[in-house]
Amino acid sequence: MTAEVAKYTMAQVEALELAPGAQQEQLEGWVPELASDEDLRQALEKAFDYRGDVTLTLKSGERIEAFVFNCKTGPTLAESFLQYFTPNDSEKRKVSYADIARVEFSGKDRAAGKHWEDWVKKYNEKKAAGEKNIALVPEALE
Amino acid sequence: MAIPISQMWTVSTYVLKKKLAGNKQYPLVLMLEPLFRCNLACAGCGKVQYPPHILKKQLTPEECFAAIDECGAPMVSIPGGEPLLHPQIVEIVNGLIARKKYIYLCTNALELKRRLPEFTPSKYLTFSVHLDGQREHHDFSVCREGGYDIAVEGIKEAVKRGFRVTTNATFFDGADPNSVRAFFDEVMGMGVEGIVLSPGYSYEKAPDQNRFLGRARVRRLFRAILSNRKPTWKFNMSPLFLEFLMGDRSYECIPWGMPAYSIFGWQKPCYLLQEGYAESYKELLETTKWAEYGAASGNPKCANCMVSCGYEAPAVIDGFGTLKGFFAMVKGNFSKYRDAHALRLLDEPAPHGPATLVQIAAPDHSFEESNA
Repeated sequence: MTAEVAKYTMAQVEALELAPGAQQEQLEGWVPELASDEDLRQALEKAFDYRGDVTLTLKSGERIEAFVFNCKTGPTLAESFLQYFTPNDSEKRKVSYADIARVEFSGKDRAAGKHWEDWVKKYNEKKAAGEKNIALVPEALE
Repeated sequence: MAIPISQMWTVSTYVLKKKLAGNKQYPLVLMLEPLFRCNLACAGCGKVQYPPHILKKQLTPEECFAAIDECGAPMVSIPGGEPLLHPQIVEIVNGLIARKKYIYLCTNALELKRRLPEFTPSKYLTFSVHLDGQREHHDFSVCREGGYDIAVEGIKEAVKRGFRVTTNATFFDGADPNSVRAFFDEVMGMGVEGIVLSPGYSYEKAPDQNRFLGRARVRRLFRAILSNRKPTWKFNMSPLFLEFLMGDRSYECIPWGMPAYSIFGWQKPCYLLQEGYAESYKELLETTKWAEYGAASGNPKCANCMVSCGYEAPAVIDGFGTLKGFFAMVKGNFSKYRDAHALRLLDEPAPHGPATLVQIAAPDHSFEESNA
């Protein structure tokens, strides 16, 4: 939590009727411009929050398709790093922020289009059409 | 309380030993997530939104044992994902039983009946079956018609085979307290040991962000549900935590009390928020900025949270670690929590029918008065 985030008082917390929920950005397909160190930091923090794979291009030219699950930030880019899994390796990997040249939000956002309203709409349509055993099913893993 | 005496003894002696040793931060329950893969696709779920290659990954039994051996918690909850999809779940469970850990295997029960013959009944093993309410409510909540009937079939078979079984329900905005109370009658009639319940939490990564209860509404809902209890109802939870949900008690979140471990590592700071991972429980304790979390911190991400992974551990420590808490816990086990105001809440109109089972539009202000 950063210092500039607005904080609730306990009185506000206790009086909450509905939780405000989080604002989710549409990041799929986005390729951020990385003009400064701060741009890179912000892009990598979004990659950490993203619910899909990203493609990292390293300064060496290597391209890595990765699901970023951890970021540890330090005072310099060299002391900050991401942890990620790749699709074809069971081992956790690590890369320094300083080695990253480009970030692409290349993978599908796995939560997109799965809002509660979408389910209610789909349910009502199928029910009206007389369908039985209405369900959402998990996506295939292949 | 539906919890067996041997389990209460184990937990109470564990808490007292930690207290006598002057240990300030220790785990009560390890939330062990051996995989994120699931056979349901619930629209509100914030736990399974991952690419296929992540959903195919899983912890090995050895990784699970290393996690429990390191943190030393007396109880292990195994959520997910759906743990019964893990091909080595029996080996994991048996290894935890060998370590004398009390296990709550959380399952949607779609696979329970089929896999039951692989397990052996034990006082250490409880199947905690996810049921979010009566048939129509549960099926709509898990986005699958027929899910309730399959789960109930699994529950009945597990009870018949001599397993410990509880149900586990999460309630979101729009839950009908009368239906929830009727649901309690139904599940106790199935022969389960007790009921576990929780208010929904606004997972930042959940696709839907519109139907999570705030604290005032949680207290009102749970006061309506849990007051004027029937003698047949048993809860597999700390009575003090239930009083916290009803607004009768205040606790501070202690996320280190129920740490979460998964393929990513030890989750910071808790089972619900994902703000990074540590390689070990020790690193989790030492590097997490605990003061930045919990409702008292003012962190907006924690503002609506009254979930057991943060607030049941302090209730348990209060109950077993202080005389005052112990007597309150004993009293809570026998109290019916008679409350005329809560009875009147049950007379308020509630939404009905699948399309309005949850409130997805403007907030309902019909319960404007808070009883807390």
